[in-house]
Amino acid sequence: MLGRDGLAGLAVAAASLVLYWLTLGLQGNPLVPIGPGFYPRLVLGLTAALGLALAASDWLARRRAPRAPAAAGSAPNYLLVAAAFGVFFAYTLALPTLGFRVATFAFVAALNALLDPPRRARQWLRVVLLALGATVAAWLIFEHYLTVLLPRGRWTDF
Amino acid sequence: MRKLAAALVVSLLPAVSFAAYPDRPIKLIVPWSAGGDTDVIYRVFAPLMQKELGGTIVVTNVGGASGTKGAKEAKDSPADGYTIFAIHDSIHSTYHTGVADVSYADFEPLCLVSSTPSIVTASPKTPWADMKALLADAKARPEQITVGATLGSTSHFFPAMVARAAGVKFKYVSYEGTAARMNALLGGHIDLAESNLTQKGKADAGQLKFLAVASNQRNPEIPSVPTLKELGIDVEYAVNRGLVAPKGTPPAVLAKLRAACGVAAKDPSIAEAFKKQGTLVRYLDEIAYGRFFKTNDDETVEVARELGMLKR
Amino acid sequence: MFELLWQGLVGLMALKYLAPLALGTLIGVVGGALPGVTITMTIIIVLPFTFGLDPLQGLAAMTGVYVGGSAGGLVTATLLGIPGTPSSVATTFDGFPMARKGEPGRAMWLGVWASFCGGMLGGLFLIFATGPLATFALEFGPWEFFSLFILALSMVAGLVGDSLLKGLLSGALGLVVTVLGNDPILGAPRLTLGIEFLEGGIPFLPVLIGVFAFAQIMGDVERMGRARRAAQAVDRTLSLAVSHAKVLMEILRRPFLLLWTSFIGVVIGVLPAIGGSAANMMAYDQAKKLSRHPERFGTGTPEGIVASESANNANVGGSLVTIMAFGIPGDAVTAVMLGALTIHGIQSGPLFISQHPKIAYGIFAAYLLAHPIMVLVIALGARWMLRIVTVPKAALFPVVLVLCTVGAYALGNAMSTVYVLLIFGLGGYGMVKAGIPLAPFILGVILGDQIETNLVRAVMTDADPWLFVTRPISGMLLAASVASVALALWQHRRVRRRAPADAGEGADF
Repeated sequence: MLGRDGLAGLAVAAASLVLYWLTLGLQGNPLVPIGPGFYPRLVLGLTAALGLALAASDWLARRRAPRAPAAAGSAPNYLLVAAAFGVFFAYTLALPTLGFRVATFAFVAALNALLDPPRRARQWLRVVLLALGATVAAWLIFEHYLTVLLPRGRWTDF
Repeated sequence: MRKLAAALVVSLLPAVSFAAYPDRPIKLIVPWSAGGDTDVIYRVFAPLMQKELGGTIVVTNVGGASGTKGAKEAKDSPADGYTIFAIHDSIHSTYHTGVADVSYADFEPLCLVSSTPSIVTASPKTPWADMKALLADAKARPEQITVGATLGSTSHFFPAMVARAAGVKFKYVSYEGTAARMNALLGGHIDLAESNLTQKGKADAGQLKFLAVASNQRNPEIPSVPTLKELGIDVEYAVNRGLVAPKGTPPAVLAKLRAACGVAAKDPSIAEAFKKQGTLVRYLDEIAYGRFFKTNDDETVEVARELGMLKR
Repeated sequence: MFELLWQGLVGLMALKYLAPLALGTLIGVVGGALPGVTITMTIIIVLPFTFGLDPLQGLAAMTGVYVGGSAGGLVTATLLGIPGTPSSVATTFDGFPMARKGEPGRAMWLGVWASFCGGMLGGLFLIFATGPLATFALEFGPWEFFSLFILALSMVAGLVGDSLLKGLLSGALGLVVTVLGNDPILGAPRLTLGIEFLEGGIPFLPVLIGVFAFAQIMGDVERMGRARRAAQAVDRTLSLAVSHAKVLMEILRRPFLLLWTSFIGVVIGVLPAIGGSAANMMAYDQAKKLSRHPERFGTGTPEGIVASESANNANVGGSLVTIMAFGIPGDAVTAVMLGALTIHGIQSGPLFISQHPKIAYGIFAAYLLAHPIMVLVIALGARWMLRIVTVPKAALFPVVLVLCTVGAYALGNAMSTVYVLLIFGLGGYGMVKAGIPLAPFILGVILGDQIETNLVRAVMTDADPWLFVTRPISGMLLAASVASVALALWQHRRVRRRAPADAGEGADF
């Protein structure tokens, strides 16, 4: 039986070996005495070995003293984490299509509403104001004051 | 009401730019990181151009992969005049050595802006007093004198051309970027490298040795440094920088950009500002620049073939 | 040299530089005081703002954040008993008990003035050591740099986290990130996995931002919604009035303690990628061991506060030395500063001071000036800060993520860097969940290309591989890295034998 560490170790080792295999086809250049595959193979060999070592040490430790599953305290709210990642993912999709201003407004509002669900009208107002304020401030500071160009929307040209 | 609607529709169609060009900021892609030679040159040049154009030019640094990342982005940008590209001689060598698929032919020339003569520079820890001593030593110890270079780029081509003309062979070590090469020269970890007049301060302080300059005549800033031609090495070399726009940019827009470039290049303040960068103003209009591209490209193919680096 | 320093100080007095420095210090103090917002995160938030500034303005702001952040944590640590940043953990041990005994002003100001003194001692080291060390660093050829980077990685791998194996694995994974995309020598594509934007390689700043911001924020998010902690009640009647002269005397009466703990801070700062969180714990530990009354530690003794706070600010000075002389980051904060330097096209390294004296001495000056500004900010704002600390995270996180996104986007002016941010955000959170420390990973990402480049350079210069061992400095550095791994092995074994405790989840430097 393997635990969290063991599985992570095996996953790392497997991924390293796949990448290692991919380096074998790399062509060298006469200008450089050691080819572009030399160092990657060194590093990937190392990660593969360390991954296997981690899996082995986990297996040994478990055989010696099978540990009981961690005491159930307040279980982490993974659903909320997944939702937050989801909202950010949607933001990265919206940036090039809707443009910085629209996307940022929607993102700040959505994530704020997700993390602290508004119930009354006043709280909804807070969500909208926060989103609006953050968007306008970011736009003004970066685009106008600091001349950092922010994405324009492909669909909206805004 | 209908008029208003029509105006709205027109203003929403970005490609139809009958409105006076430019009506929004123009992105000038510099394919190297900020603060480098190219960047500094265009940060001085862009404001003058924008005065003439009547619009803003935003210098945008898209560095990486020997300058080819920015070149790719420029090539793939819409050809509407709102993206222009700061091109550099390395476009030829990176194309022919197979580093990237972008070539000068993917762009419309606007104008050539500057030219920076290369200087053969040696570490202070080397024993050579002048170029002759270096060449004698190089003949005695073939492929043992180390040269720091961005492989496949101008700093590699220049010493290779010198070596070919003088009939010697060097050993090349990868040091990407002028700063890294100067560090290594100072510490004596490499013997030679290409540099330019920006390093004059260090040469004066004895931290570097200028052996020969690759221009046609001696440079008044460093009158004691001989040219390669004087020494019987027939190599003239400089790093040339110009502006181009993606292929297919409307002729009216190109004309505007070219005119602005010409005015900016002839501004007296530019020569002064470039001199601080060890650079000379070298203006060529689009026709002469187009020819220049062609000859430069052919030469690059020649040199690359002899170096055994030619991939296409 | 002093002339240059003086010019730097005078130059920095111009509003153009003073404003970003003061703002940076203010933001640093607030960020440091906010529990759950680390200095690393604060500097990440500030990063995009520096793109549009001139290099020295940006670096002044960042230096301010660094100094302010190292001190800001103590406000929350002493008054609320919650460390504002990992670098003020040890401050809570004695700061909070002292505050609860009815001397909150004394506790806080002991910390502030200790930070100030420690910072100034770190500043002395910064000013006097950077130049000579940079000259020494010129002697470093490719062999020495290679060995130095290996030493840095093996030290960090051994020092952080609960398992040497995971530390090493984390560092190696960081190296793998730099292997993907293209080789640093010719830029030839390799291991692109068929993804086009990978051909340019993976830029390290979006990786760093993603890993740290998401690991931190998502770690907090997973605790939200279930057991919402009531907002910390702040006693508005709290009196922070105190005799500054008396507090300062209390610190200066213990010159040996102050010097020793500042020294520890500086040394830990100089060593790559260990950072303030180790400095304050180690200094506290040392102070306790050296004290004549070790039993008083933990009950509100001034020595504990002084040790912890002087060390974490001295640590800042040390980190700046490493970044300026060797061009390698002392921790995640200086890694971001290094990134900001490269964005402005400035190569930090042995030639940095001589090539960019204005910026180098500007950083010295910013560091020195940031300390009095920090004291001023805390003196004026301590009470408000306690209210800012209770800003709801639900409002803070979206804004922080927007700034991270802007920072990533502006780095390449392309969406691809934003995707890098997202992917490594997921990765960083996953690593925290798997109990793999983040610090070695980040150092690996930062150093990977340089390790490879120097390895190739060494071989290109001379084909003899034994030079890595036979060149004296290089050989010594390699021996030290072997020793550090052996030491870590021995320490971890000792700890495990003593207490087979459960694995903790250290998420930050």
